Amino acid sequence: MSNVNNNTNNATKRYQNPELFEQLAIEYAVGSMQGRAKKRFEALMETHFYLRAVVDAYENKFASLVELLPDAQPSNQVWKNIDAHIKASTTTATQEEKTPWWQTNFFKQGFGMAAMAVIVSAVLLLNPMTITPEATATAYSAVLESNSHDAMAVTKIQKSDMTLSIDIMKKVNVPDNMELTLWCHPKNGGMPMKMGTVSKSGKTNIKISKKEWQEMKNVGSLAISIEHKGDNTAKKPTGTILLQGQLSTASL
Amino acid sequence: MEDIYADLLQKTAAGDQLAFKKLYEETSPKLMSLCLRLMRTEALAEDVLQEGFIKVWEKADSFSPGKGRALTWMSTVIRNKGLDKLRSLKTKAAETEIQYEGLEFASQDLQPDNLEDVSQDLKGLMACLDTLKPDQKECILLSYYYGHTHQELADKMGKPLGTIKAWIRRGLEDIRPCLT
Repeated sequence: MSNVNNNTNNATKRYQNPELFEQLAIEYAVGSMQGRAKKRFEALMETHFYLRAVVDAYENKFASLVELLPDAQPSNQVWKNIDAHIKASTTTATQEEKTPWWQTNFFKQGFGMAAMAVIVSAVLLLNPMTITPEATATAYSAVLESNSHDAMAVTKIQKSDMTLSIDIMKKVNVPDNMELTLWCHPKNGGMPMKMGTVSKSGKTNIKISKKEWQEMKNVGSLAISIEHKGDNTAKKPTGTILLQGQLSTASL
Repeated sequence: MEDIYADLLQKTAAGDQLAFKKLYEETSPKLMSLCLRLMRTEALAEDVLQEGFIKVWEKADSFSPGKGRALTWMSTVIRNKGLDKLRSLKTKAAETEIQYEGLEFASQDLQPDNLEDVSQDLKGLMACLDTLKPDQKECILLSYYYGHTHQELADKMGKPLGTIKAWIRRGLEDIRPCLT
């Protein structure tokens, strides 16, 4: 058992070397990684989200190769099957929504009008026509790039543990009297949210409040600036922005 | 080149079934072509295409236009479905009924008359691949389009297994700086 743990730990350490995992990520994306190496790498991707992010980036690069392929028409049955599946799943969802709530004891006991008001409000709020990915998001992610467009850090924000995790993959040089500060910038402009200080290398976890989580749907980008150590007064970046990237919903 | 499918995919994410149907009609021929090369039988290719499009419907909200093009996102979803299926079925080359062996479709240089039809992403990728030796480029493209194992590539190209592994590894090492 301890050998297994040691092997896993050693493998994990190896994959924290950016040069190595970038090479493995590109091999995985192309499809040339095989057998046990591929299974091992997939297991590590489950726990190390930066590996997943780098693989995603390379998969995206190679996926444009599909444009070169000649067209091949699938049979009509394929769409019929897809359509039937979608309609069946939509019908099931609708039936679940149509639970006979008016027959419940809760309603019979005189709380009907209050319940109806709550349900009407919920229907208005959760109307499928108005649901956006942000409205239903349970996680967000962002890859932060340097000014020369090198991917430097991966950020994940999860509702499940109300944590913002940032992993600086390539060490950032910071003078001794300075520190790195993470900011969330709203999509529509305005003052950013200051999320806290992050380590110049490796992983930093920042607990977020319920209010900060709710604000994430309005955040467009993340940025890391260099600030004077211990200066807690700044409401927006005062130093150079070293890294930045777009925030998007994630299915993690 | 504008991402003509991004809008349809975003409407799909919002539950618009008509947009999804149009997206299917527009993109399925290219994606079927990819499935045929990976799966090598029409029935398996159609299975993967079907499962892949259902996943596209279910996961469309995780597409982010800022991260890439809609077609590339969809082809990644569907190709990964195909690779999973290949692994579970352990399909052998001998069982194939469709003989797609070559890379003719990818071997022509991008000429001025078809430059408008391809994305900047593809032009950039092809420029990177063109810096490799022809054998390295061929191995990488065969891995991508056909999901060939190293052994299958060695058999197909009549080269020792070690040579194939080295070509691919060094080829990918060499183009990495170009891609980033």
